[in-house]
Amino acid sequence: MEFFFDYYFDFSLMGEEFDRVLDGFWITVKLSVFSGVCSLVWGLVLAVLRQLPGRALMPIRAVTIAYIDVFRGIPLLLVLFLVSGFLSAAQADGTIPRAIGIPEWLGQTSFFWYGVIALTITYGAYMAEVYRAGIEAVPGGQMEAARSLGMSHGQAMRQVIVPQAVNKVIPPLLNDFIALMKDTSLVGVLGATEAVKAGTDIQTEFFNGSGLVLGALMFLALTIPLARLVDLLIARQQGRYARSGRGTAEPAPAGAAGSGQTGGPI
Amino acid sequence: MAGDGILRLERVEKSFGDLHVLRGIDLEIAKGEVVCVLGPSGSGKSTLLRCINLLEPPDGGRIVLDGQQISGGAGEVGVDYVRRRVGMVFQQFNLFPHKSAVENVALAQQTVLGRGEAEARTKAAALLKRVGLADKLDEYPERLSGGQQQRVAIARALAMDPEVMLFDEVTSALDPELIKEVLDVMRELADEGMTMIVVTHEIGFARDVGDRAVFMDDGVIVEEGAPKQVIDNPKQERTKRFLGLVLEH
Repeated sequence: MEFFFDYYFDFSLMGEEFDRVLDGFWITVKLSVFSGVCSLVWGLVLAVLRQLPGRALMPIRAVTIAYIDVFRGIPLLLVLFLVSGFLSAAQADGTIPRAIGIPEWLGQTSFFWYGVIALTITYGAYMAEVYRAGIEAVPGGQMEAARSLGMSHGQAMRQVIVPQAVNKVIPPLLNDFIALMKDTSLVGVLGATEAVKAGTDIQTEFFNGSGLVLGALMFLALTIPLARLVDLLIARQQGRYARSGRGTAEPAPAGAAGSGQTGGPI
Repeated sequence: MAGDGILRLERVEKSFGDLHVLRGIDLEIAKGEVVCVLGPSGSGKSTLLRCINLLEPPDGGRIVLDGQQISGGAGEVGVDYVRRRVGMVFQQFNLFPHKSAVENVALAQQTVLGRGEAEARTKAAALLKRVGLADKLDEYPERLSGGQQQRVAIARALAMDPEVMLFDEVTSALDPELIKEVLDVMRELADEGMTMIVVTHEIGFARDVGDRAVFMDDGVIVEEGAPKQVIDNPKQERTKRFLGLVLEH
């Protein structure tokens, strides 16, 4: 039992190595914020492309759906290796400039940026599906009303559909962000010294897992409040629906001729 | 048949898969005329309105709006032409829930007509005043009653300066005590000379306000004429049967 505590909760070691783990965790936070913001934007772009109307734009929809299917279906670690391998090899080959092949923007390592790119590619696909659910949850009458006022599909999406959709999906997007934050640890495999890598370095040096436990505590210090925030937002949304209940736009009664038809070229 | 018709439908057809919803509709509407369309559920009334502003493209026939062919093959002008001239009000209001009343009425003025924000809001405020909602400018739809929401929706359509207004069972989703305030707004609009096509179950409104009543069943116009004649002395058996059921209670 004593060994258990010494292995996981060696407080003196935690104290000595605190800065090293914290530095790693700072990298984790930066990775999460950059990748999170990029994924949010990229996911929305994908979701909107997927909703483009008309037969002429079918190829764009098909490519978007294929992208989302592929990157939701393969491991992030694999994407990480694909991205880092390609970029470093392509710049060595002279196909792309070194500044892009081995990016060291804003004082971060190239591993960091490979991570941001891979996380964005993968989480953009996840978040696109979340946005899609939100867009599809906006009643069809909203698009019809906007179109009947003369707005183009793009104007209607920007002014009417997407603002409502985003509002509905903030909690699940935050959930994805929590998952993304944990998955930044995979970037450690490339060599970026984020929280988990810092912990395993300490573990290798001292044969002790306390550095990892310290990293875990740092993760929890952020992820638990975020999870509570998600709960709060969901509760607030449900409260709002309960209040608005009757009177506001309910789905059309089944008998209403035509009003259930939303498949038109609106 | 040129005439002074602002809107002319010739043999308009529409199917959803195997369901033949409109089976050759001929209808000509004069400027300033109020046409009330009556008929049982599923008779194609709503689809007719949705074809007129091309929310559903007709499968056959021709529609001519203000001298321009908007549907029916060669020489068609685009949906933009139609939607800038035709306003539509829906059964379910379809207000934008994330915008206040005044923003609902101002939005398309800005994005579609390119009006400045101040101009659009001024116009929106004037229209909301006209429909009796001068004190609700900054309320969000969820804080408004169904009748108030529907009046905002009417103001929103009017803000685009339409030449024709389409009303698709706009009182069907309202509690009985809220119906009158919406019908009153429509009555005023009719008095001011707006061209209106009103799909409705409000027989009294059709009789008092309509210039013409059209009875539809099974995708065709069964009978049309002066509202009093169609409603009080229908010629066709189907019209009699329907009105008998509606007027019974």
